[in-house]
Amino acid sequence: MSLAAEAFVSQMAAAEPWPENATLYQPLKDDQILLSDCASSLAVQAYLRMCCLPVQVVCKANAEYMSPSGRIPFIHVGNQVVSELGPIVQFTKAKGHSLSDGLDDVQRAEMKAYMELVNNMLLTAELYIQWCDDATAAEISRPRYSSPYSWPLNNILAYQKQWEVRRKMNAIGWGGKTLEQVYEDVSQCCQALSQRLGTQPYFFNKQPTELDALVFGHLFTILTTRLTSTELAERIKSYSNLLSFCRRIEQNYFEGKSS
Amino acid sequence: MGTVHARSLDPLPMHGPEFGIQADDIDTTVIEQEPKQEVLENKHVVVQRVHIDGLGRTNEEFLTYEIADVFRARNLIDVMRKSHEARQKLLRLGIFRKVEVVIDTSQGEDALPNGLDVTFEVTELRRMTGSYNTMVGNNEGSMVLGLKLPNVFGRAEKLTFQFSYGTKETSYGLSFFKPQPGHFERNVSINVYKVTGQFPWSSLRETDRGVSAEFSFPVWKTSQTLKWEGVWRELGCLARTASFAVREESGHSLKSSLSHAMVIDTRNSSILPKKGGLLKIHQELAGYTGGDASFLKEDFEIQLNRSLFWDSVLSASLWGGLLLPIGDKPTSIADRFYLGGPTSIRGFSMYSMGPQSEGDYLGGEAYWAGGLHLYTPLPFRPGRGGFGDLFRTHFFLNAGNLCNLNYGEGPQAHLKKLAECIRWSYGLGIVLRLGNIARLELNYCIPMGVQSGDRICDGVQFGAGIRFL
Repeated sequence: MSLAAEAFVSQMAAAEPWPENATLYQPLKDDQILLSDCASSLAVQAYLRMCCLPVQVVCKANAEYMSPSGRIPFIHVGNQVVSELGPIVQFTKAKGHSLSDGLDDVQRAEMKAYMELVNNMLLTAELYIQWCDDATAAEISRPRYSSPYSWPLNNILAYQKQWEVRRKMNAIGWGGKTLEQVYEDVSQCCQALSQRLGTQPYFFNKQPTELDALVFGHLFTILTTRLTSTELAERIKSYSNLLSFCRRIEQNYFEGKSS
Repeated sequence: MGTVHARSLDPLPMHGPEFGIQADDIDTTVIEQEPKQEVLENKHVVVQRVHIDGLGRTNEEFLTYEIADVFRARNLIDVMRKSHEARQKLLRLGIFRKVEVVIDTSQGEDALPNGLDVTFEVTELRRMTGSYNTMVGNNEGSMVLGLKLPNVFGRAEKLTFQFSYGTKETSYGLSFFKPQPGHFERNVSINVYKVTGQFPWSSLRETDRGVSAEFSFPVWKTSQTLKWEGVWRELGCLARTASFAVREESGHSLKSSLSHAMVIDTRNSSILPKKGGLLKIHQELAGYTGGDASFLKEDFEIQLNRSLFWDSVLSASLWGGLLLPIGDKPTSIADRFYLGGPTSIRGFSMYSMGPQSEGDYLGGEAYWAGGLHLYTPLPFRPGRGGFGDLFRTHFFLNAGNLCNLNYGEGPQAHLKKLAECIRWSYGLGIVLRLGNIARLELNYCIPMGVQSGDRICDGVQFGAGIRFL
């Protein structure tokens, strides 16, 4: 969207309060959704819970195609449809809810940098493992991605998605990496996050921010998703403060409150 | 030919024994006229040889079916008539540019005194014809390439290919047609295509990639078609402002359907007929041969025409359709019916009637539409006998309804639903006939019975198309 259009949309958004019937759309939970989409969706859900904004999660097989940007998840609030965590954070800010108001400029810049790190490293690694690793692609990703469709459409769509992701990986330079190198990158990313977190409850001390939601979404999903090998989960488990961080957010925001 | 010198009043010698007029007979021809005419009609002839000249790649045995009838002629008038019919049949195959008939007496040793030779001199169409167009419109430019191969294997098979490459979208179509030798009305056609469509009234964009196989055959006076079609449909929003109901329909689906159509057409022309009627019934069953979409769709079209006094024609038509989903999945926006516009209920905007959400029309699962027209020649008949005959004035009355059905209530409730909130319109206008395929209309319409949510176009409305209510 152009800047002028974005400004206009923010103005419109600011006019109305958060409705009761806000909905978040994602692919089918049991059969279809993949690791990267599940992580992104969980990040948005965590963020909205941290803001105390009620949202209902609806699973639809064509959620990816419904989304205006083609990415999961997206929320339908009033008349507006907004997809991906970044624009959703801005959208809620326009409505007066924000988690990062208490940060100064230096901290905000730091938060943005770490969010970029997670998106460039963790998310890309998830996509790589799902689609560029032949074993995972054949056993998990392609069957799950194409499960709502009938033959031969399921094969066509699954292979189309795989080629698209592989082209993108080649474009950003990850095409030549091996699985070991990707695991190493994930480890390094987790080390940076772990160091920043230290012994604090959240990344910016007492209050959670969108960075916490994003990190939680990715790490929790990796820890709880079955892949062809447990290598990825093991790498994360070696950082105990990240584990307790995930547990803390799960306890505070996801347990006890009905999902 | 050499130079001919006419030095006397003697007639030039004619070659060909059928005339046999010599200078001596001239005076007596007048007296012999009547018996000669009788001779032509009653004289028993035998067609000894029928052959076709000028064949290249066409298979000769394939053509024997078309010309076989000529052998059965018994007198000269009959021979001429059957040859004419055979010529029509040969032209209908679509593989010859020109067919000429030459009837001559038999030559050669086994020639009977009353034997005739019929020769069809044909010119085949070129092996491949191509066309290239560029089209510009609506912020989009495209290049269209067409290729036609008539008579590919010698038995009137036709292969056509069309490819359109545009700034926004690409589409193509490949079609193979094969008639049964001897029975041209029985034919098989296989198509592969990709088409894209934009529907601004629903804020919807649709891309279809499909394969279809069709088998047509005549049964008594009707023409029947059986078809299997497999289509991969991709739906998307045309604009970011599309309503959420349309957004929910975005995505991919696969439709695999069997359909049957029956057509009885006794009209004298398909555009502006003067007499006759049309009955078209079409049903489609999807889901039993695979695919995601599962429904039963029925629709029919009836048209009756009658000439009245003073060169005017009264025409009545009725359309209707029903879409029943099978199973618990709701119907897709790509399968539903749409109504309204200059080609159906005049006075309403294109397909802008019925169920809608935030200004986007979603189509309906059942509809009916009726029209009553009175076509008259233009007042004061300008250009009569020429250009003016292409135009007609018409007075029309259209009515119809489009809605979704609430199932489980029985057919009574469905009929009641369709009878509520009828939209109708009346008016007059001018119709221009384009060849034998299309027509243009310019009407002044007054829409009535407008329901909330419908978009109307009262006043002057222009329409162009092939199929009008």
